Amino acid sequence: MHPREDQFWLLVSLRFSGEATPEESAMLDRLLEERPEMAARLEATSDWWIHAAPRNPGLKKGALQRHLQRLNEREKLPPRRGGGRRLFLFIAGVAASLAGFSFFIYHWTPKHPTPTVAHNSISTKSGSKSKIQLPDGSQVWLNSDSRLIYSETFTGNEREVQLCGEAYFDVAKDPIHPFVIHTNTIDVRVLGTTLNVRSYSNEKNTEAVLIRGSVEVILHSDPEKKIILKPNDKLIVSNANLASTKTAKADADSGRTLNLGKVHFMARDSSAVEVLWVKNKLAFDKETLETVALKMERWFNVKVIITDDSLKQMEFSGVFEEEALPQVMEALRLTGNFHYTIRRRVVTIRP
Amino acid sequence: MSDYNVRMLDHLDQLTVISGLQMRIALYEDMKAYKQLYELLSDGLYRFSYSMVRSAEVAEEIVSDVFIKLWQMRARLSEIDNLRVYLYTIARNCSLNYLERNADSRVIGLENLDSGAFAEGANPADLCISADLANQMRRIVQQLPPQCRLIFQLVREEGLRYKEVAAILDVSPYTVRNQLAIAIQKLGEASLLKGILFKGVAEK
Repeated sequence: MHPREDQFWLLVSLRFSGEATPEESAMLDRLLEERPEMAARLEATSDWWIHAAPRNPGLKKGALQRHLQRLNEREKLPPRRGGGRRLFLFIAGVAASLAGFSFFIYHWTPKHPTPTVAHNSISTKSGSKSKIQLPDGSQVWLNSDSRLIYSETFTGNEREVQLCGEAYFDVAKDPIHPFVIHTNTIDVRVLGTTLNVRSYSNEKNTEAVLIRGSVEVILHSDPEKKIILKPNDKLIVSNANLASTKTAKADADSGRTLNLGKVHFMARDSSAVEVLWVKNKLAFDKETLETVALKMERWFNVKVIITDDSLKQMEFSGVFEEEALPQVMEALRLTGNFHYTIRRRVVTIRP
Repeated sequence: MSDYNVRMLDHLDQLTVISGLQMRIALYEDMKAYKQLYELLSDGLYRFSYSMVRSAEVAEEIVSDVFIKLWQMRARLSEIDNLRVYLYTIARNCSLNYLERNADSRVIGLENLDSGAFAEGANPADLCISADLANQMRRIVQQLPPQCRLIFQLVREEGLRYKEVAAILDVSPYTVRNQLAIAIQKLGEASLLKGILFKGVAEK
C-alpha cells in the first residue's frame, strides 16, 4: 500500500522542523525502509534544509547604534501618561519554557475598607523569578518555584509574610512595625535588614542567611529559644520531623537539626554564594548532585533524574552566569564524570 | 544526536537565553541585556518585516520601533510568556500597518502580500551545492504563496516552533503544519527533478 505523496512530505516536513511526534517519526522510518527510493528524496532535501536554504541578509551595519539613538530621542520626551496613583508592584518573572508557559502572579487589591482579610499572593514557577515591592517599601526578590503571601493588614502592627521557597528580602527600616517572615520551620523577625530565606518543602533544610543588620529567629520546634543572627551568619534548620523535634533540644550536639555557620564567598564574587541567584547567577557551593538537581529543576524548569544513588552524593561547586542548560550540564559532566541526556525537558544523569 | 534534535536543543537554548535577558531587563533595566537581546533577535525580526514591507529602511525602522516598545514596557515584561513571539507579533502588526497606510485603502492581509519578497543574498558558499541548484530553490521559495512563504521563513530560518509561528501569524497550528508540508513538497520535488544532486553533499 503506497501512502500518498503529500503524506510523505508532511512527515518529512515534521521531521525537518523537529515537530514530529515519536509515532510520526516511526511512520516515516517505516516508509523509508519499505521504499528506498523515498530515502533518496529525503536525503536530497534534508541536506538543503539543514545547510543551504536561502536566508535573507540581516540588518545593515550600525543598526544597533541608529536604534539606540532613536531610543534616546524617544526617552527624552516627557512621558505621555503622567501622574496618577501608582502602585509599586513590579513583577518581573520570566518564562523559560517551551510549552505554553504561563507565568502568573498576584491578585493585588488596592487598599479599600473591607472587613475581610484578603491575602495577596505572589508566586513564581520553575524557571522564573520575580521582584516585588511591598506596600512598606521593602523589596523582595522571589526565586523560582516560590510563593510569598502577605495579608492586607500588612501595614498593621507587624508586617507579616509567609514564604514557601526562597526569597531575598531587603526590608525597609521601621522599628515600630517589625517584619516577620514565617516559614514551615522557622519565623524570622527583623526590624530593617537584608537577608535571604530558603525554605522549599522538598528540601532537607531551611536556611536563613543574614547580609546586613540583625534578626531574631524563632524555631517552631522550640519557640522558647531565640537565635540572633549577625551579618554573614547562616542558619540551617532541618525540615525533617517538623512536629516531633518539639521535645528534642535543638542544640549543637544534635547538629543535624540545627546548624549555625558562616556564608561562603567565592573568589570572583563579592556577594555570598547564597544570594548569587538574585544576580541571576546559578551557584553551587559544595552541594550534592541531589541538591544541584533540585536547583536546576527550578532554575531551568526541567525534570532531572539521577539513576544512580551513589551519584547523588557527589559534591559540586561552581557559579554559572547566563549559561544555558546544556552548558551547565556539560560543565558538571566534566567534573563529575557521568553521562547524561537531555530529552524534551527531562535531564537524565547516569554513571 | 540527529541534526533535527540539535535544532530543538538550539531552540530550548535560545528560549533560555532570551528569558534570561528578559529578566535582566525587567528587574534591573539592564542596558547590556537589552543590547544583547537586540543583537540576538533584530536580524530575524528584520528579515520577517522585510518580507512583508520590502524596503530595507522601513524594515529597519520597524525593528527599531519594536525594540523601543520593548524598552518602554520593561517594567511589565515579566507578564509576557514568550518574548520572541511577542516581538514578532508586534513586528507583524507594524508591517501590516505600514502596508495599509501605503496602499490606498486596500485591505492588506497576509494572504494579499506580494510574492517574491525574498531577496538576493542567499549564500551557497562553502556548501557543496551548485549555485544553480541554490538559485532554483530560492526561486521556488520566492514563488510560494505569501503566507506559505512566511511560514517557511519563520520555521526554517528563524527556527520557530509551529505553535509560535501560529501565534505570530494568527493562524492555527494546523495551517502552519500544512503550509510547511506544501513548501517542503515543492522544494523536495524540484530537487529531485534536478536529479540526485546532493549525492556528493550527503557523503561530506
